[in-house]
Amino acid sequence: MFAVDDVEPRVTFDAQFKLLDLDRLALARFVLEVEPDVVVHLQSVHRTAEEGRRTEAEDRIVGALALFGAIDRIDSVTSVIVKSDTAIYGANPRNPSVLSEETRPRGKASRFQRDLSEMERFVAGLRESHPDTAFTVLRFAPIFGPRVDNPISRYLTLPVVPTLMGFDPRLQFTDERDAVSVLEHTLDHPVPGTFNVAGDGQMYLSRILRLGRRAPQPLPGRLFDTAIRTLARADLKVPDHVTGLLKHGRVVDTTRMREELGFIPLHTCRQTVLGAYHPSETVR
Amino acid sequence: MTVGGFGGMTKAQLLDLARDERIRGRSRMSKQELIDALEEAESARHGRTRSGDRPASATPPPISIPGISSEDRAEARHRRARLQDRLRAYVDKDEHCPWRSIEGHPCGLPVVRGTDRCGLHGDGRIADVAFPLTGELGFAAWPTLWRHLTLATYDVDAFGLDPVVAEMAWHTLNGLFYDYFRVEVDGIEHVQTEGPSVLVANHGGAALPYDAAMMSLAVMNEAAVPRRVRVVGTEIFNMLPVVSHLYRKVGAAYAARDDAREILRRGHVLGVFPEGERGFMKPVWEAYRVGRLGRGGFVEIAEEAGAPIVPVAIVGSEEVHPAITTSKMLARLVRLIFPEQRVEEIAIALNPVPLPIRWRIRFLPPILPSERSGGLDALDQLERSEDVRRAIQDALDDILATRRTAF
Repeated sequence: MFAVDDVEPRVTFDAQFKLLDLDRLALARFVLEVEPDVVVHLQSVHRTAEEGRRTEAEDRIVGALALFGAIDRIDSVTSVIVKSDTAIYGANPRNPSVLSEETRPRGKASRFQRDLSEMERFVAGLRESHPDTAFTVLRFAPIFGPRVDNPISRYLTLPVVPTLMGFDPRLQFTDERDAVSVLEHTLDHPVPGTFNVAGDGQMYLSRILRLGRRAPQPLPGRLFDTAIRTLARADLKVPDHVTGLLKHGRVVDTTRMREELGFIPLHTCRQTVLGAYHPSETVR
Repeated sequence: MTVGGFGGMTKAQLLDLARDERIRGRSRMSKQELIDALEEAESARHGRTRSGDRPASATPPPISIPGISSEDRAEARHRRARLQDRLRAYVDKDEHCPWRSIEGHPCGLPVVRGTDRCGLHGDGRIADVAFPLTGELGFAAWPTLWRHLTLATYDVDAFGLDPVVAEMAWHTLNGLFYDYFRVEVDGIEHVQTEGPSVLVANHGGAALPYDAAMMSLAVMNEAAVPRRVRVVGTEIFNMLPVVSHLYRKVGAAYAARDDAREILRRGHVLGVFPEGERGFMKPVWEAYRVGRLGRGGFVEIAEEAGAPIVPVAIVGSEEVHPAITTSKMLARLVRLIFPEQRVEEIAIALNPVPLPIRWRIRFLPPILPSERSGGLDALDQLERSEDVRRAIQDALDDILATRRTAF
């Protein structure tokens, strides 16, 4: 078992670790060298895309390109698990209330969304040329929990949370523990296909902040943008795909995950929120 | 009027009297049936006044609105009391929900009859059947509701229905339903008591979608089972501040095909106004002329889900804010603020305050899904959509022919 990342691991685990630059050909060379049976790709789009920092388009997606190129060359690969994101649907007033895997996103796409769809197009291409390999794309709803660190968790745990006045988006989460279990489950039972992954239920932002005892600060459009820019200066970047989410919200359908993939998440949206804000008060 | 004095009257006179007596289905009655119904109503009223069950209102009304008589007010009180009696049966006030939040807040709501949980923490039936969480539909319940609302003790459904907000809206809008618009409801038995079904109605109003609210309330207030009507609306609801979440919280959704399908898949009642914006914005001289029902997409969706289509004729919506003209300038202004909007024209009404129109809502016999394998082809769908349009138009004409005034 090999693990690859571009930062030092913070925990010890039972695998050989290799420190590599994820968006260079080095990754592809390494994959060709070890000839794996199973590939789990967790950073399919470079971190900067999700964080909303400025980078060249090639840098954000070249890692995935290189890795998929390597997989294309190895015949021994039996299954590939790719982590995608429900941000691929965007957040648009013309999107249906409940998004299924087939839903075509409407409206102008954010950068992260474009990168994700491009990455998933590579996977679709590989699927055609490798019919014997099981390609599983997991579209995760925002992962939330006491330990996770991503743009949405940082935003939600601010002491005073700027919100867009007059809008109360419906949000959905994957619990950080469920995010790990779904990967384990898919490793044990690989099912080819694309699946939305999210815990049961959904909540309005106002109720999430209430449960987290965070004070919402509703701001009208212009001021909200200013507040977001100020946060970015304080090294707390709220990227485009998250500001869209904070206006229109997003709820995905998880029937396929339960029925075809056979994964049942252990934590509902409500439990995730309570667990993330009050880890000591909830049973973990 | 003495009992038996109806024989010498013309049918038109009888109809007028029947209207005053609120006799249901009067427009379809023969002369003899009308006489019988009137006599029955008269003797029932004598009986009531004697037993003191429904005394004439002695206290003067706090605000008198022209067009709304004291009989109307008494009737509204009577209807509210009847509704309250029916709805109380849904909960068992002797048992309390055992739910407790992690902060230690108890739920405190009565349990749903036959289960051990309340409406908010139970099996989610509240998303389909609207019953008051405390058993009482009135301001007395608001402190309890408010506590649950602010403590966020419950979940919403996928479309964002918030049972607490929906109940507060229900209670508030009943003021319009019973006291102001005095909505008369016919043929409510045609709405299915369970399973998916599609209500298709004529659209009007020019200012606010009163008709969607009144149709939903008609089902919640009058049907044997108070089911929620999940009305779908255009994307402008998603774009407007405040409206964007409020319309979801009271149980509506966005008019995308996926939403309509999902609503029916979950076995809810779907409410659609396929005339859309064109129907909504039409000027008052075109009132109650039902336009083309969109592209008839509702037929396809109902067919797929095996859901019956119930045509609904609504009289009253068009006169609340009579639209006298439409403005393209205003539409341009709206497009400036909401560049994504496709709004072409905006209707301009005479009055800023809604008029106290007496509404009539008639639910028509359902059109069952075809049993043919492979469903309906495009032409059959258009034909069925036209059948629905004609049924609504005929019912509208019938209601309009029998009413004396709009008030």
